Amino acid sequence: MTKALLELRDVSKTYAGGGLLSRRHVAAVSGVSFSLQAEQPEVFAIIGESGSGKSSLARMVLGLSAPSQGTILFRGQDVTALRSRRDRLAFMRQVQPILQNPFEAFNPLTRVDRYLYATARNLAGASDQAAAEAAADGALQQVGLSLAELRGRFPHELSGGQLQRAAIARALIPRPALLVADEPVSMIDASLRMTIVNLFRDLRERLRVSIIYITHDLATAYTISDRIVIMRHGEIVESGNAREVLAHPQHPYSIQLKESVLSIEGAWNKETALVSSGNREGSRL
Amino acid sequence: MRAYGFYLLKRLMQFALVVFIGINVAYVITHATPIDPVEQTISAATAFGNTSPEAIDMMRSSLQDLYGTGGSALDQWLAFWGRILVGDFGPSLSAFPTPVATLISRALPWTAGLMLVSTLLAWGLGNLLGGLAGYYRRNRLLKFAGIIAMGIHPVPYYIVAFVLLILFGYVWPILPITGAYAQGLRPGFNLEFIGSVIRHSLLPALSLVLVGIGGWFMGMRSLVPTIMAEDYTVYAELGGVRKRRILGSYVMRNALAPQVTGLAMTLGAIFNGAIITEQVFGYPGLGSLLISAVHAGDYSLVIGVTTISIIAVSFAVLLVDLLYPLLDPRVQAR
Repeated sequence: MTKALLELRDVSKTYAGGGLLSRRHVAAVSGVSFSLQAEQPEVFAIIGESGSGKSSLARMVLGLSAPSQGTILFRGQDVTALRSRRDRLAFMRQVQPILQNPFEAFNPLTRVDRYLYATARNLAGASDQAAAEAAADGALQQVGLSLAELRGRFPHELSGGQLQRAAIARALIPRPALLVADEPVSMIDASLRMTIVNLFRDLRERLRVSIIYITHDLATAYTISDRIVIMRHGEIVESGNAREVLAHPQHPYSIQLKESVLSIEGAWNKETALVSSGNREGSRL
Repeated sequence: MRAYGFYLLKRLMQFALVVFIGINVAYVITHATPIDPVEQTISAATAFGNTSPEAIDMMRSSLQDLYGTGGSALDQWLAFWGRILVGDFGPSLSAFPTPVATLISRALPWTAGLMLVSTLLAWGLGNLLGGLAGYYRRNRLLKFAGIIAMGIHPVPYYIVAFVLLILFGYVWPILPITGAYAQGLRPGFNLEFIGSVIRHSLLPALSLVLVGIGGWFMGMRSLVPTIMAEDYTVYAELGGVRKRRILGSYVMRNALAPQVTGLAMTLGAIFNGAIITEQVFGYPGLGSLLISAVHAGDYSLVIGVTTISIIAVSFAVLLVDLLYPLLDPRVQAR
């Protein structure tokens, strides 16, 4: 049997919270298990409201924090056991993050392109400047940008959409097998959001990269993902094929989630209908 | 680069304006006092023996020339600025006829040397240790350093100074407690003199560093976690950037900008601190000079010292303003 690309076995994370005298433990993630296959890249969406533990899960998958219980295996290897710099680098070449806030994605004091070169040198084995620039340009082309557009620019000189695409390009430089995208479009202008969402789907096709797509937004998850899990209070309440789950949700929370989206759409449809029929009173609804 | 040139020009003009207004305020305040330097000198000179009224009149007119107190208020003010612009503050009253400029140039190097070195030392050490303590939260040694720094910080400065005096001047007398160098030593570029200067500056410098370091330490340590939580630090960690480099070029460099502003403020306030330090440690700097000038009613000397400190403060602020756009690309040189 071939090893899974990523496998989570009964992963839990508890944080110590409260004051000095009222120490209590808060479970951010409890008993989460799922796995991603190595052969067929897929977009795997983790859906949940804020506080559902999805970002804690992302941090653990990225090896930034260790699970309190359970194991996370990447290609059969325990992520928390990567101690030496060599092992860590090997892991980083395969797994890369895309985070929420594009305006925080680059050090405000450093030019954006330099950051890409550093990644190319550290993770893609670029030995000189020309190789680093070629790697950076190649990755930027994948997201519809070019090195010429970014060269010598500071983060504050770029738009949110450009920055987020540059952040995605940065993640693509080492040619990873898995991208962990934590709410990657929630701070992007609505007009650009779909461009980036489609970009993920496109990357899966072209670069055969698996994507863990973490979001609170049911609609984008539905658009791009192959499989989804719905999380609540740190637990997975429902999982399976994206279309099936969203068409026939079983768990009360999933049903509630879906209904809230539908009710917004319903209100929208009703309102536009009323406005178009010339009823000005109705537009107040 | 042209934008920077324009920025430079604008800041220089602001600097000149601030200095101009500051000196005028000092001028008005000192001239509003009832002390008349001319009459004081005359009464001092005629206190013993008889002097003919003609001689007193001659003395008065020549002294009025010397102090620039003859003529209308406008004439006096113009004469004052004419002299200030060439660095002439007139003769000192209390140390007549030594020019104020000479007294200041004697005292200034002591104050500037002591205060600059100890302020920069406190700033550098505080930021470095604070940054390390924020980054390596678990390190016991750094935790301990934090407790010490925070413990000393809220103690009033003069108490720290006196405790040091008692400890190293009386309980364990290994350091000189007063003066800038050993008495009877001739100033010059020789090892004995330089060694004596350093030994005499240790206690005042130590007191300033001890009290100053805590603020920088705490400021830096509380800035670090917010920067470590920024996405770009996470990206750097997962981009294979080495830890030491993350601490240096990501965490510390981003935290430094507000600390540099703080440094400018502190450098500006150097002269306030100098007064207490120099009094406690008998250090012959500007602070001591200012106190003795105030006690003696020597208002040309007061104006001289005030002018120097106004220029120094404004210059420190100017320098930081000029450096800031180079430090942080987000601050546009406009």
